[in-house]
Amino acid sequence: MALRKLLDSLEPHFVKGGKYEKMYALFEAADTLLYSPKDKTHNTSHVRDAVDLKRMMGMVWLCTFPAMFFGMWNVGFQANTAIAQGLATLPADWHGALISLLAGNDPASLLDNMMYGAIYFLPVYATVFFVGGFWEVLFAVVRGHEVNEGFFVTSILFALIVPPSIPLWQVALGITFGVVIGKEVFGGTGKNFLNPALTGRAFLFFAYPGQISGDLVWTAADGFSGATALSLAQQGGIEALQNTMSWFDAFAGTIQGSIGETSTLAIFIGGAVLLMTGIASWRIVAGTLLGMIVTSTLFNIIGSDTNLMFAMPWYWHLVLGGFAFGLIFMTTDPVSASMTNTGRWYFGALIGVMVVLIRTVNPAYPEGMMLAILFANLFAPLIDHFVVEANIKRREARANV
Amino acid sequence: MSEKTKDILLEPVVKNNPITLQILGICSALAVTTSMQVSLVMALAVIGVTAFSNLAVSLIRNYIPGSIRIICQMTVIASLVIVVDQILKAYAFDVSKQLSVFVGLIITNCIVMGRAEAFAMKNPPLPSFLDGIGNGLGYGAVLMIVAFFRELFGAGNLFGIEIFQTVNNGGWYPPNGLMLLAPSAFFLIGLLIWAIRSWKTDQVEEADFKIAPNTKFSGAH
Amino acid sequence: MSKKAGNDSIQKTLLVTVVLSLVCSVLVSAAAVILKPKQEENIVLDVQRNILNISGLTRNAKALSNIEVADMYKQIKPRLVNVETGKFVDASAEDIMAYNQRAASKQPKESKTLPAVEDIASIKRQANIAKVYVVEKNGKLETIILPVHGYGLWSTMYGFMALQSDLNTVKGFGFYSQAETPGLGGEVDNPLWKAKWPGKKIYDAKGVVEASLVKGGADPKSLYKVDALSGATLTSNGVSNLIKFWMGDNGFKPFLNNLKAGDA
Repeated sequence: MALRKLLDSLEPHFVKGGKYEKMYALFEAADTLLYSPKDKTHNTSHVRDAVDLKRMMGMVWLCTFPAMFFGMWNVGFQANTAIAQGLATLPADWHGALISLLAGNDPASLLDNMMYGAIYFLPVYATVFFVGGFWEVLFAVVRGHEVNEGFFVTSILFALIVPPSIPLWQVALGITFGVVIGKEVFGGTGKNFLNPALTGRAFLFFAYPGQISGDLVWTAADGFSGATALSLAQQGGIEALQNTMSWFDAFAGTIQGSIGETSTLAIFIGGAVLLMTGIASWRIVAGTLLGMIVTSTLFNIIGSDTNLMFAMPWYWHLVLGGFAFGLIFMTTDPVSASMTNTGRWYFGALIGVMVVLIRTVNPAYPEGMMLAILFANLFAPLIDHFVVEANIKRREARANV
Repeated sequence: MSEKTKDILLEPVVKNNPITLQILGICSALAVTTSMQVSLVMALAVIGVTAFSNLAVSLIRNYIPGSIRIICQMTVIASLVIVVDQILKAYAFDVSKQLSVFVGLIITNCIVMGRAEAFAMKNPPLPSFLDGIGNGLGYGAVLMIVAFFRELFGAGNLFGIEIFQTVNNGGWYPPNGLMLLAPSAFFLIGLLIWAIRSWKTDQVEEADFKIAPNTKFSGAH
Repeated sequence: MSKKAGNDSIQKTLLVTVVLSLVCSVLVSAAAVILKPKQEENIVLDVQRNILNISGLTRNAKALSNIEVADMYKQIKPRLVNVETGKFVDASAEDIMAYNQRAASKQPKESKTLPAVEDIASIKRQANIAKVYVVEKNGKLETIILPVHGYGLWSTMYGFMALQSDLNTVKGFGFYSQAETPGLGGEVDNPLWKAKWPGKKIYDAKGVVEASLVKGGADPKSLYKVDALSGATLTSNGVSNLIKFWMGDNGFKPFLNNLKAGDA
């Protein structure tokens, strides 16, 4: 336990009155990341559990790994396929130089694809981590609270929901907006009513739509133009979609899209762990699925001559765009979602309804998951309020009888 | 200028700013701040209307019956706004086209009405006139600050003059599209309020409620 | 406070109301009457500037003084055209001045509803009579400026298409009123994009409308195609559609054919 000893010997420098008093937040973050804190809940009104918030967030982080590794492979696979077919060329910037130095461009080679994807994903993730971490620590130091572990999750989630070709300065701006405006201005983790990762992405979506929507950004190779599955479906209908990919392609995730969002399968593997451990609320997930299935079926029945999205069945909605990723990792964010069990059903259903509405009826945004979740985030406190009020009323009625 | 006059004139600019402290007149501040030129004209229009409506209301304050005083103030303000709108249409047509309905909506700007009711009804004409200018200035100052950021980062221009050459015009600057949409003004005004209140901490509002501190360990296991 | 107490009597209330209303109404009407000529001049000049800008007669009509605009505009002659028959309508100069195509397209008597199949530009109603602008030099047609409009993503875009004397080559194309997404669809107003239009042809040899926007960049040598606006698929589609509509059989094609045959 040399490490424990080292930390203990360092501690006096950081506590109040020590030399590095201001840096306590940093020390505390490192210490509690490595070891469960000594000072556990010890008052009468607490339930004690072996898992604390930091371990829980670590679990969420691990659960994104299937989606993350698959995403890296897929970034390489998409680009290498396009290059092999002569539809695109290796990027002319430093990405391309590094790729040609370290790997080949064979779409059948696991290593080549992984390397290609890693060269795109790792800088994005590193930027998110350092820039976002910088703000996190800055606010912790100035406000004198501890660095919050939620940021580990925010950073990986944000890095996975951007397109692979996104410029790094935009990544930095996006996570800055997400952390500062989406979270810290309201007082930090626990007080934010919006999901910070989605807030950052929404900022980029409206500020620099050229780099996060359209047909040019989803495959990280020069000169390639290809619509995402959803805009394909919007323009050509479900037939056009099935000409380019099968449902199973979309489910497995060998299609282009944001880095970690394409593979419904990989996301569900992580999701299963989250649901079984109880970290993610199954009520929200079920509510969202239900809302989506009912609304899309309703649109199927209504039908439309001009709007091809009306005909899209629910099982396609499930595997396209950011639906699966949002369903597992974003809707279940414990801070910005509803907190009451009944509220969670309504909260989820609202997301499910909104996502289909935005995808189907709005002409400008073929992808609706991000906006639907942010929209529902705003309503989460209201939903909880009504649930609590209803509970109070019911109990009052029971007591009076 | 006496100390008191100066206070009346300058206090609303930072210390008692109608937008950042009283949170009035937000609607038009979101709508018209995409470019500095338009904001400047809007600011001048509001300064003119507040100043002269204050002056007029103050002049007749002793004759206004209490039962219809709000309607009297509204009549004065509405007339002034229509006159301003007519003048803009005649002499600043381009800008008035961009301001569209928002000149007319000065009538509903809480700042104008608020000053007439709160200040001009109780004070002599000259201080009222200055108070109107001061509050208009406070409004205008915020408008200009917000417009500065929105036009510079949203279009790369200031007063229509190119500062950053945008990518679409063959330059290097990728314009921030969010800045051209109304919500950005909301963020900017919020950040501005944050900055001002960090500087002048007496403007911070009292919290609605306090979160109780964690109970201390008392050994009661 | 004795003075104030008297204010609330009914007589006093009525008196103040009447006097205040009188003073205010005089002020407002005076401003309106005195400034009216100036305002009307502004509106006329604004339209003229837009036409000049798009017609290719000048690059930057915004920079011109009012007198220069009025002077330059003298070479442009507004005429009314019956869209269906494609012939000029005889009308006095005042009637032509007063005709408002945008208002007419909302009047059931002066316009017709387009069936969904024909309504490519999503404008729902089309005015029977259009106001076109003719530039003549020494009695010969030099430029014809046609009003066009159609729906983009969020808004109806209003603009002009200016054609050279061969009635096929574009002299200038642009919009004077649109509310598309700033920075994306709003780039229809970008001078660099508008500069791609002059010289393009509308019709191919068979008279089919070929001019349209192409996603992902058009071949610069292409006679008919122009780059689509990047990131703005729906606005670009809207622009292509409105060209297809207004240059087609339900738009100005009959008129242009008549004009070519000297029979308009």
